[in-house]
Amino acid sequence: MNKFKNLPVVRAIGFNRVVLIGVILLMYLVFALLTPVLHSGATFLKYDRILSALNYAYFIGFLGLGVTFVIATGGIDFSIGPVMFTAALVSGYCLTQYHVPLWLCLILSIVIGVLFGIINGYFVAYRFLPSFITSLACMQIAKGVGSVFTKTQSVTWPTEGNENAWFHYLVRWGDVPVGFILLCLVAAICAVVLNKTKAGRYILCIGSNKEAVRLSGVNTKKWEMLAYIICGLLAGVAAIFYVGAYTTVQPGLGDTFNNEAIAACVMGGTSMAGGLASMLGTVIGALIIALMQEGILAMGFTISYQYVITGIIVLIAVTADTLSRKRKN
Amino acid sequence: MGDVILTMKGIDKRFPGVQALSGVNLEIRKGEVLALMGENGAGKSTLMKVLTGIYKKDAGTITYEGREVEYNNPREAQEDGIVIVHQELNMMGHLTVAQNIFIGREPKNGFLIDDAKMNSDTRKLFQQLNIDINPKETMSKLTVGKQQMCEIAKAISHKAKVIIFDEPSAALTESEIEQLFKIIRNLRDQQLGIVYISHRMDEIKKITDRVTVMRDGCYVGTLITKDCTKDDIINMMVGRVIYETPKTESHVPPDAPVVLKVEHLNAGRMVQDVSFELHKGEILGFSGLMGAGRTEMARALFGADPKDSGDIYIKGEKVEIHTPEDAVRHGIGYLSEDRKRFGIVLKKSITENATLTCLPRYCKGVFIDKNKEKQVTKQYVDTLRIKTPGIDQLVMNLSGGNQQKVVIEKWLIGDSDILIFDEPTRGIDVGAKQEIYELMNRLVDEGKSIIMISSEMAEITRMSDRIIVMCEGRITGELDIKETSQEQIMHYATLRAGGSDNE
Ligand SMILES: Nc1ncnc2c1ncn2[C@@H]1O[C@H](COP(=O)(O)OP(=O)(O)OP(=O)(O)O)[C@@H](O)[C@H]1O
Ligand SMILES: [Mg+2]
Repeated sequence: MNKFKNLPVVRAIGFNRVVLIGVILLMYLVFALLTPVLHSGATFLKYDRILSALNYAYFIGFLGLGVTFVIATGGIDFSIGPVMFTAALVSGYCLTQYHVPLWLCLILSIVIGVLFGIINGYFVAYRFLPSFITSLACMQIAKGVGSVFTKTQSVTWPTEGNENAWFHYLVRWGDVPVGFILLCLVAAICAVVLNKTKAGRYILCIGSNKEAVRLSGVNTKKWEMLAYIICGLLAGVAAIFYVGAYTTVQPGLGDTFNNEAIAACVMGGTSMAGGLASMLGTVIGALIIALMQEGILAMGFTISYQYVITGIIVLIAVTADTLSRKRKN
Repeated sequence: MGDVILTMKGIDKRFPGVQALSGVNLEIRKGEVLALMGENGAGKSTLMKVLTGIYKKDAGTITYEGREVEYNNPREAQEDGIVIVHQELNMMGHLTVAQNIFIGREPKNGFLIDDAKMNSDTRKLFQQLNIDINPKETMSKLTVGKQQMCEIAKAISHKAKVIIFDEPSAALTESEIEQLFKIIRNLRDQQLGIVYISHRMDEIKKITDRVTVMRDGCYVGTLITKDCTKDDIINMMVGRVIYETPKTESHVPPDAPVVLKVEHLNAGRMVQDVSFELHKGEILGFSGLMGAGRTEMARALFGADPKDSGDIYIKGEKVEIHTPEDAVRHGIGYLSEDRKRFGIVLKKSITENATLTCLPRYCKGVFIDKNKEKQVTKQYVDTLRIKTPGIDQLVMNLSGGNQQKVVIEKWLIGDSDILIFDEPTRGIDVGAKQEIYELMNRLVDEGKSIIMISSEMAEITRMSDRIIVMCEGRITGELDIKETSQEQIMHYATLRAGGSDNE
């Protein structure tokens, strides 16, 4: 076992993440075996299944990458799901009703995410409100804004093959999962930001001991706020991938995705106490969540089962996190 | 002298990259205070943690009251009568004093916790020990010294047969230390075995019967306290003799320019109308009793806490300092007295802590230049002789004194012109203390200026060129080193404004 832990590959990726990759393979195997049994005539061994699972992984992945920054500072953001929906609703409404050019709508989606990030960040960093409360408030605001703007109607972005539909290529070009490449690319950028830049260093240190960082002459407010802004920005990006995969968005929803994104994060080894984060882990976590929902649907269960399972995963992951921290003390 | 109650033999303990203990022996006797001494990182705390079941030993035996024991956790040790007062405080800030003392063994009244009994038991305990603290007070509202006294009371309340004090006095005032000694003597007379860890030589001479010395995780030897001198112990600890000579005159040339001028600084109740000047190349000592407002003054000056009024001039120019960021930009550095809370980021490496004050200087654009950063960290780890397997070690895994050195390293790399050292040698061993003193002297020779806040009289008279004494938030005296005596400092330190109410 120790020999395995010390392999260069394993050390580079991190033992926990290697275990998680193992979990993915195992899950795939279980679903492949169980699907035909539980749901006669169905099969899990199709490329389509993988593409469909990936569709889910993209937006959860982007949300998760964003919220990883926030959790790294020791905070939490419960508004990302609804913010993503609001961004998709408002920009989609502009596209379909006001005929704003598509490229501008995509930018608008990101800008909306950033705006919510600024609101969250300002109240947490400069007004010292608990991030829990601030982001719950933001979640309500986001849901409300989305509903008001679209007059509580759902918005359907142009479907594939129509005019103004090239954003679908961001998710998938024929059989090529472009979205997966983009997700990995953004995750790599996030990892560089977190581990190799000044901003990332400050964010992680703030998560460990904010007061000590402040007393070292660092403008902690600015850097803490930045984490929330990045988080909002990636929620805006997630919106594009959501509509790229599913086309239609409804107002008033999105909160379930918060939990899944946060679960992805914590599973991947990011500590809820702050100061410790892994972008690669978050991506793997998102893949697990996505594969699970695909498997549950394939086996013929309703989506409600997934909520139960996500809840359990969060409990297990957070318990493991606190336990490992206790052991280290 | 009493019988042996506990023996540790050939104890080994390894952490990744560090052999913290190798073949250590220790003998605790009934009715005796044993001093455990050694440099920072010698392994004192680790040895005591092995004894109380916090760490598992790799080898060796522990014999307690004639039988071999091995505890899996501190609770088992406690039930057997071995308790420890830790170097770092372990209290729950949001609970009351009584709740903290009875945590995990609350008196029950049916299913409910019997608060009244808990409070009255605590009161009784305090009365016995002559401690004046309200059991219903919230822990976080107490001074660090009082919290420490609670921790001690908690340990004693366990009906222990062996009590270990790991640097209990670092956060205590003179009078609290006196009280602690009274308690310890009392326990000794009741035939308990006591281990006392401290870096303060005068305390060792005063309270202990035997001294066991450790160096680099090894057992060096044991001396009878009354048969040896301070120098014998130091020699055994660090392998050389250290001379302590007080300063007799100021090293600052009379025409040295003023680098910092503070005028009528007010901040809350603890800083009232403080004005002073600091010259280039000067070490300005701030003396006073604990709670005199020196730390509060420094924090207000540094922008860590808001100030009510007052002007600050640096090199003759008026500056606005509202945040620590402003202060650092103007070349001021502040080493906090409470390193765990304000000084270091425990979960991060030495390198990450070291460059925190001036990260932009170790960046290329937005990217951190890791090589440059590592190089400078390594260099200062060597000069300060921080004991660590490598600069990537988490600060959490360093011994107390070495953590303090990391704080100092941070500000040295920060390259500030004006340094405020708040209790710079708290928890630091004699050898390292000497090194820090030399370092401070070197810094002022290089043209930097230092404000040194210290509660240790010997440190003040040894290092300062000029001394300011504070009492209850006001400056009550200013002394040139040439004409200073400890009596004089004490006189000013207790010069209270007429009939003030304490507490
Ligand atoms: N949990 C840990 N993980 C890794 N190394 C550790 C750990 N705890 C202690 N060490 C190392 O073991 C050595 C002994 O540390 P210890 O805390 O016992 O020193 P000490 O004698 O109490 O010093 P001080 O006077 O500074 O408190 C040090 O080199 C320290 O870095
Ligand atoms: Mg120690």
